[in-house]
Amino acid sequence: MADVLAPLAGKVLDVLVQVGSKVEEDDELVVIEALKMENTVYAPAGGTVKEIKVKKGDSVADEELLLVID
Amino acid sequence: MRPYFQKMPGLGKPLKENRIARMRESRAAIEAVEAEIAAAKKAVEEVGIPAAKINERGSLTVWQRLERLVDAGTWHPLHSLYNPNDNEEGTTNVVDGLGKICGRWAVIIGFDNKVLAGAWIPGQAENILRVTNLARRLHIPLVWLVNCSGVKLPDQEKFYADRRGSGTTFFRHAELEQEGIAVLAGIYGTNPAGGGYQSISPTILLAHKDANIAVGGAGIVSGMSPRGGFDVEGLEELIAKTRDIKERPPGRVDIHYDETGFFARVYDEETGVLDGIKEYMRALPAYDPMFFRVAEPAEPQFPAVDLYHLLPFNQKSDYSFDEILARLVDGSEHMEFRPDYGPEVYTGLVKIDGMLVGAIGNRQGLLPKGYPEYADYPGIGGKLYRQGLIKMNEFVTHCGRDRIPLVWFQDTSGIDVGDIAEKAELLGLGQALIYSIQSTDVPMMLVVLRKGSAAAHYIMGGPTANRHNAFTLGTATTEIYVMHGETAAVASYARRAVKDKDSGKPLEPLAQKMNEMAQKYYDTSRPAYCARHGFVDEVVRLKELRGYLKAFAGAVYQNPKSICPRHQMLLPRIIKG
Repeated sequence: MADVLAPLAGKVLDVLVQVGSKVEEDDELVVIEALKMENTVYAPAGGTVKEIKVKKGDSVADEELLLVID
Repeated sequence: MRPYFQKMPGLGKPLKENRIARMRESRAAIEAVEAEIAAAKKAVEEVGIPAAKINERGSLTVWQRLERLVDAGTWHPLHSLYNPNDNEEGTTNVVDGLGKICGRWAVIIGFDNKVLAGAWIPGQAENILRVTNLARRLHIPLVWLVNCSGVKLPDQEKFYADRRGSGTTFFRHAELEQEGIAVLAGIYGTNPAGGGYQSISPTILLAHKDANIAVGGAGIVSGMSPRGGFDVEGLEELIAKTRDIKERPPGRVDIHYDETGFFARVYDEETGVLDGIKEYMRALPAYDPMFFRVAEPAEPQFPAVDLYHLLPFNQKSDYSFDEILARLVDGSEHMEFRPDYGPEVYTGLVKIDGMLVGAIGNRQGLLPKGYPEYADYPGIGGKLYRQGLIKMNEFVTHCGRDRIPLVWFQDTSGIDVGDIAEKAELLGLGQALIYSIQSTDVPMMLVVLRKGSAAAHYIMGGPTANRHNAFTLGTATTEIYVMHGETAAVASYARRAVKDKDSGKPLEPLAQKMNEMAQKYYDTSRPAYCARHGFVDEVVRLKELRGYLKAFAGAVYQNPKSICPRHQMLLPRIIKG
């Protein structure tokens, strides 16, 4: 089980996976706009996306839970 | 050293379908710019008198000459769109690039005989300087296709004189020759005055039978004595002299082959001159590439077309530089230098066509938490911090010691700023990198993948590294400026905004001004603008990048001025630990 956290505060521009998606380590998961850039959040480990806590347009805080990989 | 280089660690992984789908629009945008650039290049090729008309006159065009001269598939044009003075002709009137002749790399340049009979025009001297510098930096022959009618007289004040004016070429030719670099010239047509010196200054002169070279051409020989004005009687005299001298212009083959012997050979056919150049090229010193190869050449593990899905057109989107590099280097293999230090920068050894090359590039995206270590704010790729600057200094210095050429890949928004960054010595470390580059004597090339901005554009092997930067390539995603246009507008008008607000003035006009400034920055940073003004030496398609890397590596290792035996190199051992 791996919790994927926001690496910094920003706005969610895109969620690239769905619940049930199979992912591998370093796959692209979420894009967060911060520091004038669109920053990709990558999978820390392989598995299945169990839960997604954010949607496009959400503001997220630093280290806020984005999704869970099982 | 075979175990070090024959099989290096792998780099990159196959693209996922969802990445390809997500980047579809981005790819289309890149390809649209590439198509615009290709159309602009085609227009420059077709400028002037149509090829058919030149052929009717019994001559080949410069393009046809190049076609015959250069080994198939090896032509890598440079400066195709260079036209810094916005000449109405749309060109500086020379065509140049890197190409192989009889298997040997050369810098090749020819006058476009379709335009003003190959005249000197504004911007050409600077173009030629870039070309002669390139031959010097790569230490490979310079081959001229001379067909130059001399100065475009109505515009002479724009390029004849000055420190870097048209005559500089002749000094540069002498410099090349003194450094052991041969300059070969195939000479066609009428080449008076400047054209004469273009012809006489190379090392070996090979002429077509109808060529002539002279201190002064027919035009001035018939009118050398100014009389304080013109009248009908004077014009009658001029007409008679001109008719007479047109038949026998000065400096024909019977003078400069039969009498002076300046021409080493004369050929009846235009193609004979080109064959003569080939013969001389075969006589020049060149190592067999096998001599310097550290492994058998290999294509990357992943296709070049992936680059269109990896490098986002949107300048704000991040991407993996390592994945880009994996599409450019032999076998998608590398040896990374200090992977745990300075995460915003990639430094490592790669192979191009079996030859060892150092690579440096900006990584993108968020940096690990706690970096930069000297600040409490997050670090972001594309920007340079203390460790990255120190790492590049070290890497460049080691490459210099080991005589390994370098390829820089820029996508940088600049160096970290503010008092915290100043305390971290970034100003000094940036200049230290310039000092490190200048302390080496290895050729470098630069690819501006996307942004080339602020001082980072200078210090990361940019064109300002005159003695080292052989050439700089742009892509469809390149943009070069001192800072983003909106940042510049804020820097320029922030105080004015406060004043206007305090004095009760409406803010709309100022906002308009700021938008105009941002737009100007955008317009003057596009790839075509960068190429026209020489910020880059060529804008190339992403899928053509590897070809230029191979040309660079092949040329660098053809006849290097200095060699480090591979078993005496330090950098691979430092990386191995």
